Amino acid sequence: MNKIKQCLSAIPIVRAVILCVLIAATTTVAAQEDGDSAAAPRTRHFSVGIMAGLDRNYHIVNMSYMADMKYDKFRTGTAFGIRLGYSPWKWLSFNLGAVLLQKNYHMDHVFQYYRLYYSLPTTTTNEYINVPLEMKLSVGRTVKIHAFGGIYGGYWLKSHRKGVTYSFSNDREYTFDDDVEFNDKRDNRIDKGFTWGAGLSGKIKDRVEVGAEVRWYYGVDDIQKPYMRNLNPRYNTTITFQAVVAYWL
Amino acid sequence: MKRFTLVAGALAILAVSLVSCRKEPLDMVNPNSRICKSYLQQFETVWQGMDQGYVFWDKDTVDWDERYEKFRPVFEAFDARPANNPVTQSEYWEAYTGLFEGLLDHHLTGRFYTAKGIPRGACEAWVSPGQNDYYHPTGISYERSLQLDILQKKAIPGTYLESDPFSYAPLDFPGSYFCLIKGKNEGELIAYFRFTNFYIMQLYAYHSALPNSYTAQAPIKAFYGPRYNEGITAGAGYANNDSVVGLIIDLRGNGGGSVADLEPIIGSLAQSDTRVGYTRVKEGFGRLDYSAWSESIVKCPSLHLNKEKPIVVLADVTSVSCAELATMLIKSLPNGVFIGERTYGAVGGLYSGGSTNVYHDLFYGGCFGDYDYFDNGPDPYSDIFSYYVYTSTFHMVDKDFNDVEGVGVKPDIEIKYNRKRLESGYDDQLDRAIRYIRVGH
Repeated sequence: MNKIKQCLSAIPIVRAVILCVLIAATTTVAAQEDGDSAAAPRTRHFSVGIMAGLDRNYHIVNMSYMADMKYDKFRTGTAFGIRLGYSPWKWLSFNLGAVLLQKNYHMDHVFQYYRLYYSLPTTTTNEYINVPLEMKLSVGRTVKIHAFGGIYGGYWLKSHRKGVTYSFSNDREYTFDDDVEFNDKRDNRIDKGFTWGAGLSGKIKDRVEVGAEVRWYYGVDDIQKPYMRNLNPRYNTTITFQAVVAYWL
Repeated sequence: MKRFTLVAGALAILAVSLVSCRKEPLDMVNPNSRICKSYLQQFETVWQGMDQGYVFWDKDTVDWDERYEKFRPVFEAFDARPANNPVTQSEYWEAYTGLFEGLLDHHLTGRFYTAKGIPRGACEAWVSPGQNDYYHPTGISYERSLQLDILQKKAIPGTYLESDPFSYAPLDFPGSYFCLIKGKNEGELIAYFRFTNFYIMQLYAYHSALPNSYTAQAPIKAFYGPRYNEGITAGAGYANNDSVVGLIIDLRGNGGGSVADLEPIIGSLAQSDTRVGYTRVKEGFGRLDYSAWSESIVKCPSLHLNKEKPIVVLADVTSVSCAELATMLIKSLPNGVFIGERTYGAVGGLYSGGSTNVYHDLFYGGCFGDYDYFDNGPDPYSDIFSYYVYTSTFHMVDKDFNDVEGVGVKPDIEIKYNRKRLESGYDDQLDRAIRYIRVGH
């Protein structure tokens, strides 16, 4: 029974690997069809880059009958990082990055108690480091168009929350602005999932390339550990909008 | 471009295929409003209600998932019983007692009713796991009568008063008591106040017989109840009179009440606002989903003790809930000391009541179920399996973030309850309080 469960849980990963192989095979064939220039080996294979921009996090949580607790669909944060690239051909490269990004969310608990109306918002700022490993495919000459996909691993570094809560003995609202202490039993600080996106770039100097990209980080790990029987899952999907500067070595 | 189209298409397929990598959300049921028609449904609802709304999961040692595995088959078997072999009262009681056994919340009380079973076609279970803890062998009213008999002998003649803002109240609560006791030196006095509950503000507000019931005078009337008719100046004078060198606030046998009493009555003993502790509520379905901690500050009203004097709070295991908060507050004052024995340990703030038990659906935690049933009993003609779980809405810790739930507030000077001594005419706790004020330690 456990073996079956393990096989089932591995299906998404297997599927992703198969699709990556298919993509590679498809693009290789396409490149060969495309002629000699695209498939030709390039003179500079390695690049380093820096990325900086903003992100929008979508925190997925089912609040069911707790209808007065409303989560914002998206919350803005920042993202910046570095990237190492290896490019065997002009049309294909492999990137390994390290990105510090925020996966923030906002919840507003609104209710009426006797004649008093309460709005108790909480903004949670979460700092993550994500390490994406991806395959990137490019077309174009002066301005290149890129599409990329891969996997990422990550770690939840820090959590902070700020807002207003209800104070029992005072019947009043209470403002807080605190770092959140991670709970070893509850918080799953390991983050992993898939990443994909697209972008544009162009060379401004012989070795310097600048560009912009939009990227999805699709977490497949619940941010909570399976510490209770009826656990309602919570996930993050983060979209980053980044400017990229790369230097070819 | 052909290549790019192929790549983009393949990536799009990849993206779409990954959407199913996540677990589906669970179907959650609001335990506050579910109509149950079977033993199993009632059990599932009660278990879920506690699972989602109980505020002590990060401190409680009970394995709630294990309880589910253990008791689900029991309730399932109840449903499967033939009509000629219905569930008995003791079986039903044992099942719910076992389910709740050992839970930390000392407010926790569950009332459960089955439309089937015996006797007389229906049985009912009340469970209060906290009550299995430390308790006094005698009843509160017996203890109180012994203590008051002794107090009257210590009171300066003519000063003993039984305040009875409650004598015409709809609730049969005893009121508050007052007397003056001799201090160490000639002319020095100790003011003694006893509050046997904290429903004082509610009752003042309730009673149209008292004018200005929610004005600034009301707190003063409440605190200085025995002499409220003498006005603010005279009433406050008892505590603020220079002859009074110390105060004893006796909260033994005080079963709690409304926190609305804390500010006007206990807050007036401080020189400024006092932080009693911190509270938090549940904020989601996870057992460990909590809001941020918020400070519990008890405000100091404008009319308060005009200078610091020694204040002794007397409390014991019969001091519950709001009485424990009051004890925490006085203990935290620089001139406050707690004499007696540990309090009961039910300090979690709690909102309960109303025909729809509206509080649960405001805070998504604490008490849930049919409050009418809890308050008025079952409808014997209904086929509904009624339930109500009375449990804390707020997790409370003291000002140093120590958990006091199930532990109680610990005294600075411990003097244990002694029934034999009381029956012999000695109240050791009161004597120690008087000595503390007379001697200073």
